[in-house]
Amino acid sequence: MKQALITDVATVTALGNDLGQLWQGLMSGKTGIKPVRHFPVENYISKYAACIEDLTLPERPTESSRIRILLDRLLEKMFPVPTDSFLITATTKAGIDNLEQLCRGNRTDTQDLLLSSILDIVSQKLKLTARGININAACASSTIAVAQGAAMISSGRANSVLVCCIDIITEFIFSGFSSLKALSPFPCRPFDRTRNGLTPGEGAAAILLMSENRVKKDNLSSLGKVLGWGVSNDATHITAPAQDACGLIMAIRQALKRANLKEQSIAAINAHGTGTVYNDLMELTAFRQVFGEHKVPAHSVKGSIGHTMGAAGGIEVALGLKALSTGVIPPTVGFSDPEDGAKGFFSSEPTEILGNYLMTTNSGFGGINAAIILAKGETK
Amino acid sequence: MIAYITGIGCVTAAGMGCGRNFDTFSMPEGPLPKLTSTDVFKKPYKHFGRMDKYSRLGLSAIAFALKDAGLEKWQKKRHIGIIASTVYGCLHTDIDYFNTTIPNKGLMASPNLFAYTLPNCFLGEAAIYFGLTGESFVTCDPSISRLLSLKIVMEAMACGEVEKMVCGVCDLGRPLIFIQGKEVPPGSLFLAIEKLPESNLSSYGELSLEKDDSMYFNKKKISDLTSLVNECIFNKI
Repeated sequence: MKQALITDVATVTALGNDLGQLWQGLMSGKTGIKPVRHFPVENYISKYAACIEDLTLPERPTESSRIRILLDRLLEKMFPVPTDSFLITATTKAGIDNLEQLCRGNRTDTQDLLLSSILDIVSQKLKLTARGININAACASSTIAVAQGAAMISSGRANSVLVCCIDIITEFIFSGFSSLKALSPFPCRPFDRTRNGLTPGEGAAAILLMSENRVKKDNLSSLGKVLGWGVSNDATHITAPAQDACGLIMAIRQALKRANLKEQSIAAINAHGTGTVYNDLMELTAFRQVFGEHKVPAHSVKGSIGHTMGAAGGIEVALGLKALSTGVIPPTVGFSDPEDGAKGFFSSEPTEILGNYLMTTNSGFGGINAAIILAKGETK
Repeated sequence: MIAYITGIGCVTAAGMGCGRNFDTFSMPEGPLPKLTSTDVFKKPYKHFGRMDKYSRLGLSAIAFALKDAGLEKWQKKRHIGIIASTVYGCLHTDIDYFNTTIPNKGLMASPNLFAYTLPNCFLGEAAIYFGLTGESFVTCDPSISRLLSLKIVMEAMACGEVEKMVCGVCDLGRPLIFIQGKEVPPGSLFLAIEKLPESNLSSYGELSLEKDDSMYFNKKKISDLTSLVNECIFNKI
């Protein structure tokens, strides 16, 4: 099996338009969560989200979605992407802001509403020769997209794969989570005893995966490797996680097996950590079950950049590589009074990590769970 | 990579059921049959009525495909994955949901409808009902062949990730609110694919995915999902 190397990453989040700004913000315990201004929120449980500034530009034609501006901003940060790269996109709702316009009787571009729109936009912008696929698996969409990309490289079906993931905050999403009573009235507090819901965030990430041969041929260096991955379904509930964490445990074990690693080799965990009561409990159950007494340093970014839904996994892979290269994981913003079992895993301070492998996990509606194991790369 | 088609299930304007009960298959334009849980399951399934139309459509075809393959009964959860492709996904549900949000500025937004505003939710429903713990996701496939989900399944099997999977297409057709847009025949069609069939039922035949991405059924090149299913039905024992 060939190895899947990561040669380039880019992120845009509420903490800045590149990975450097995001990392600095996270390390200093900053949060991008602020009161929402681009739609009315007075009737919703929360008034907060981690929105990206200036996504609504004055020159933006009213009929196009905010995803277009976000994608522009994301792709300008990437080094040239080989045009023969296979494209895998991930999004939960694409340009759903246009549906809001449409339902209100306004003129809008309906094409941005289709899940395939991200494929079309990115392919055209980067002049990619193959069409690619979009993956929709709720909040594990981009984690699965990275896993699929790594599988394609590993089996030799592709030697360059671009994963591009994106989701924006719209009234559609916000009202929905509010109706489900899943929003935290205040900025979310992952793994804290007082946590009471999630805070939505918007963001995008691009990850370029390549085979070793292609990296050598193109004279590039590797930021890290996707060593293992696992995907599973709880098969218990469509909106609530399995209390016994059966699905996440299975996904983690698959990832460890594929990476050919023992649990003790994992130096750090990027947890999904949405800040909902049940998600965080489920994850703690999974970590206890898999890692036993071995307390692996872990963190969640949702208290800083919110829950970026379909983009979460991709952003967290980019951050995982940064954590491995710097030997430290950022603090979990909002975490101060540890939930039972969270002490020793999570911290409100940056934590040094010792080792070369980091695991990142995400779970979502439909009972889906995904885990990825990253290996440290060369120094660029 | 070689695998076997062991089950077919569909809900279309022309009818619904298991592949072994059909003499021919088509996906015409027209109204879809009204689905109730007793049309699909042996015992009434109360939860079925609470699902959105898109989920009922997809879950029903998956149920027929698993029944056709002899895989519907279970005691212990199984590592079977589901990959579905779509064009419009759950956009009909999205519209219904957002129309509950507009009138009272969000106060009456429906949590039940919102729960189905992700196109992968019906895969979760199928996973729950049939105890399927494998990988599941939805992909978009606007191609005429509609073979994408089948190719993804064949590739996953080739990687040794899974031995049994269900794949297919699910669409309610172009939402009326889309004045322009691709016409997609409404309906759902799913296939059960097994690396090594273990049920007592015979498989429909052998499926292979070549390195150049072409697919063959019983060594005959296939161009699209509908003609593949018709080949299967023609070959049934």
